[in-house]
Amino acid sequence: MAATAAAVVHRPAAPEQASLWSDAWRRLRRNRLALAGVIYLTFLVAVAVLALFYTPYRMSEVGVTLPYSGPNAHHWLGADYLGRDILSRIMVGAQISLVVGVGTQVVVIAVGVPIGLMAGYFRGWFDQGVSFIINLFYGIPDLLVALILVFLLGPSLTNIIIAIAVTRWMDMARLVRGQALALREREFIEAARASGAKPFKILFGHILPNSLGPIIVQATFGVPAAILFEAFLSFLGLGVPPPQPSWGSMAADGIAAIRIAPHIVIAPSIALSLTLMAFNFLGDGLRDALDPRQRR
Amino acid sequence: MTPMSLRILKALAVGGVTSLVLGACGGGGGGNTNTGLASNQTLTFPILGDFGTLDPAIADAETDTEISQNMFDGLVKFDNNLNVVPDLATAVPTPSADGLTYIFKLRSDVTFSNSDKFTSKDVLYSWNRAAAMQGAYATNLSGIDGYSTVAKNTVSGSALEALLEKNDPSVTMSGLTAPDPYTVQVKLSSPAGWFLTAIGLEGTTGYIVDENAVKQNFDNWWSNPATAIGTGPFKMTAYTPKQSADFAAVANWWGSPKPTLTKVHLDISVNDASTAITKYEQGGYDIVGYGGYSNLPVADVLRIKGTSSESSQLILHPKVRTYWASFNMVSDSSRLAKGPFTLDQGQSAHDLRLAFDLAVDKAKLVQTVCQGIVCTQATGGLIPPSLIGYMGDNNDPLAKYDPAQAKTLLNSADPNHTKTANLTYTYDPENALNKPTAEFLQSQWQDNLGVHVNIAPVSHSQFIQARLKGAYVLSRDGWQADYNHPQDWFDNLWGSAVGCPDSGCTTGYTTPAYDALLKKADSEPLDAAKADYAQLNQMLINDVVYIPLYYSVGAFLIKPYVKGAGTNAFFDHYWNEIQIMSH
Amino acid sequence: MFTRGTLIYIGQRLILILLAVVGVSSLVFLAIHRLPGSALFSEHLHGQQFQLLLHHYGLDKPLWQQYLNFIIGMLHGNLGESLVNRGVAITPIVVREMSVSAEVGLFALIFTIGLGMLLGIVAAVRQNTWVDYVLSTTSVIGYSMPNFVIATFLILIFAVWMDNFTQHTFYFQIGWSGRYGTIGEIWLPAFALGFPYASIVARLTRASMLEVIRQDYIRTARAKGVREIVIMVRHALPNALIPVITILGPLVIGIITGGVVIENIFGIPGLGKEFATSILNRDYNIVVGVFTGYAVLVGLANLGVDLLYVVIDPRIRY
Repeated sequence: MAATAAAVVHRPAAPEQASLWSDAWRRLRRNRLALAGVIYLTFLVAVAVLALFYTPYRMSEVGVTLPYSGPNAHHWLGADYLGRDILSRIMVGAQISLVVGVGTQVVVIAVGVPIGLMAGYFRGWFDQGVSFIINLFYGIPDLLVALILVFLLGPSLTNIIIAIAVTRWMDMARLVRGQALALREREFIEAARASGAKPFKILFGHILPNSLGPIIVQATFGVPAAILFEAFLSFLGLGVPPPQPSWGSMAADGIAAIRIAPHIVIAPSIALSLTLMAFNFLGDGLRDALDPRQRR
Repeated sequence: MTPMSLRILKALAVGGVTSLVLGACGGGGGGNTNTGLASNQTLTFPILGDFGTLDPAIADAETDTEISQNMFDGLVKFDNNLNVVPDLATAVPTPSADGLTYIFKLRSDVTFSNSDKFTSKDVLYSWNRAAAMQGAYATNLSGIDGYSTVAKNTVSGSALEALLEKNDPSVTMSGLTAPDPYTVQVKLSSPAGWFLTAIGLEGTTGYIVDENAVKQNFDNWWSNPATAIGTGPFKMTAYTPKQSADFAAVANWWGSPKPTLTKVHLDISVNDASTAITKYEQGGYDIVGYGGYSNLPVADVLRIKGTSSESSQLILHPKVRTYWASFNMVSDSSRLAKGPFTLDQGQSAHDLRLAFDLAVDKAKLVQTVCQGIVCTQATGGLIPPSLIGYMGDNNDPLAKYDPAQAKTLLNSADPNHTKTANLTYTYDPENALNKPTAEFLQSQWQDNLGVHVNIAPVSHSQFIQARLKGAYVLSRDGWQADYNHPQDWFDNLWGSAVGCPDSGCTTGYTTPAYDALLKKADSEPLDAAKADYAQLNQMLINDVVYIPLYYSVGAFLIKPYVKGAGTNAFFDHYWNEIQIMSH
Repeated sequence: MFTRGTLIYIGQRLILILLAVVGVSSLVFLAIHRLPGSALFSEHLHGQQFQLLLHHYGLDKPLWQQYLNFIIGMLHGNLGESLVNRGVAITPIVVREMSVSAEVGLFALIFTIGLGMLLGIVAAVRQNTWVDYVLSTTSVIGYSMPNFVIATFLILIFAVWMDNFTQHTFYFQIGWSGRYGTIGEIWLPAFALGFPYASIVARLTRASMLEVIRQDYIRTARAKGVREIVIMVRHALPNALIPVITILGPLVIGIITGGVVIENIFGIPGLGKEFATSILNRDYNIVVGVFTGYAVLVGLANLGVDLLYVVIDPRIRY
């Protein structure tokens, strides 16, 4: 939630020229925090992929060592309340977080971008309707809506992604609408329209490519927001069902034991915080890189 | 928004330290000896969740009856050693020779906390009302002649009160009569060796309410201090739902021991055991473990055991709860779960059930899930130790762990693993042990049988409802004794006798032999019935109806200055036995 | 400052809030009555006894009739009776819990804005120094930490370790003693609730301060020799406030929803705790009641934010 509030605040940037991309990459590389974020996330993806084939122990195997035992040479991050290897579970948990984070943004883009494009380009009653719905959604506490949705649909990975996307799509729609509104008055769009291009072609051939920068930035900020949401849902017992470990549910399970075995809650909390941070740093870096107006 | 916010602002300006609490242990302090009573006899403790109801007629939760047992009395009750002793009656009656008639002589010195006199009329009113309201424990009165008529009542609220007032036959049990103001005569429809234990069940249908108070608000009289009237040593003085409730000792109470506590304060606002324990350790509570908190988290129990200053405050007491895993045994139009375990599939289903049972290392489960502290392995049948009907340690063959035989059985009964594909074990996560237990079972079946079983958490109420409908192939199961009589275990869970007339019991298990024997056992006096109940348990074992897991152990934290507080296997000690020593 | 127009606006908004409340609770009511399972069920209670209870709650009627009864009740301020705690009226509970949540939320909001702006201003004034870098990095860390993690460790440090370390002399007293918490009980939950948002406010303040500082009138003031602190407080700060105010709406909603988790961790008897408990208990009547409470709370909070704009920026008229 927190992260998205930051993203919401960010005002849409001006359209970019295509030549900007290489420029942007150069600027991104110079941003050390963003680069650290990229490196960490690469590592995280590698871990998640590795966990498909290999984990030190089977993540659901109980009693591989004494329950609640702390980090040691065999179990680098210790064991949880059932004596399961926490490192293995963190590795598998990375898959869940990434799938939820990226999956949600895929849905959000698939829903939010077309709606935003059309609302901004065609304006009129469609735009008014969309704006009304967007404002309506902003007025309802998003976590509660997601909770109720998961509760209604039943906790599963797909349903969680759907529930989070339902509460997040309007950030993207609003941003893209703003882009489309600004771009539709520009000369090159006028020119395209004058040369008889179909609205579909204008929307996806001209306006969308010129809005990619802000969309990427918005999506990058959306990923940690979704991961955080999943953690909240898991924390409240409505997350991914066991034995799938989610960082949120691991932290929730660990809280009961925090006074005898703080490592159980610390490990997933750090993994979660680092990941959110990496995405946020990357988002900051991308915004600076793709938006010349905000350059320091 | 509130005046508070201004003060809050100031606090923020001054900084965090001012808002820290200066904690000291009461006023009594250092020099005092520990022998005398404290001047402040207020007992404070949290309860887990608000009252469902304190009305004995419809109460169905242990957490509620543990409170209401201090407000109300029955004709007989259990003492702390679980003997049936007289309460409002002058003596425990002996049944007539045919086992059908009980005559209760009542005490003549009893008054309700509003000074109303207690007479036999109150017994008739309370019991007829309870039978007519059909609460969860109404069946405790089902032995009384005429119960089946009253149980058909569908009138509720003030209309029911009107019927009760004019002794309408539809709400009057014919077997229940009052020859004089201090005598109650009960005639049973058939002998029931369990009758006295059932009406002694604390805080439920056998307990006595005051008609004058009840009729002022027939459904919700118990939630208002003005009308929450009983004969017990404590009365309610204040109640804010979901926040707190206060009770005070009744002045000049008729019974004994006279209460020493003057006030009992219940905190309803904390809903989490770890928070409650922290608050207890900070001095905010005198007890944690009453009112639903006796399932303290394993991690906290483990930690407290290892803390020298606190380990002596930890009381572990076996509770009369048994946990097992159930198979769906019957599949028909009303019970939709099928699964490979049903009785009609004969020997192969039997072998599969046995394979799933033997594949679970129950000793390791107890060590892992309960840390060997908050539960003990169930090796002596369904009924836990300390209760009549316990089979004795290691006498339940289903408690064994034999992965090799389990694998052999599985391979012969299901060589291609097709029957056991895609099974789901369902549990309710509200009890903190259920989730680790489920994960443990899943892991064991995977490792020892090579069978992947999904585990699905379902919220408690939904779980119970669906399980009773036969919706789960494999599920968490368990029972907590209501009273010390084996009938409680065999009527309510299996067979199609009284407890499960709509075959709505969890597994659906029923055989003609089981039903016939159960009927015989229920009608016998306890001593004669014991062997029959043991035989019933043996039937369940022979048919591998359950996977025995563990007997649960309650954990309590009690400050050293609180004397007389504690628990037995069934219920917490009565408040009038508790004293607070100076500290 | 509240003109007649503003009062009319408030009236209109209140009507809109009422409509929104009815809408939200209707949606939840209809959605939740499609769910399986019911709080009325227990191991001991099924069959005919269950039917009696259904009748008591009117759950044996057709859905449209239940809904009609619910709406009529709600317009009279009656949200019905708890399914789990039989005979307990929901309206007083929700009203009380709403005020508790509002109290915690308000405290968290004050904290969020106060700390956030302070850090933002310091970072801006010390732009591109180590102070700036540390604060900017901290703020990213701040909003990258889930509030339940922050809360858990705060409890561990202040309620447990400090209790042990000082031999029960100084510690954070956990729980909630009265109808409203004391200062001693509220500052830690408010911190946990507000910290992520304080980070956001800090970032915003820093950015807008930097923008303002570059403006001509600030340069002019500097050139005239006005002291730096005066420039900051008198000239830069009011302008830097505006972006913070624009996010007050989302901020308030974020704090209100964050309360669901925080109230549960700290044992605060507010709406959030009720929400988690009742949804697990399947106490549908309370779930609907809690959502109604949230809709009221969010509506009033947003109205409050809008009115705040009027106070702060006299040019805004409704």
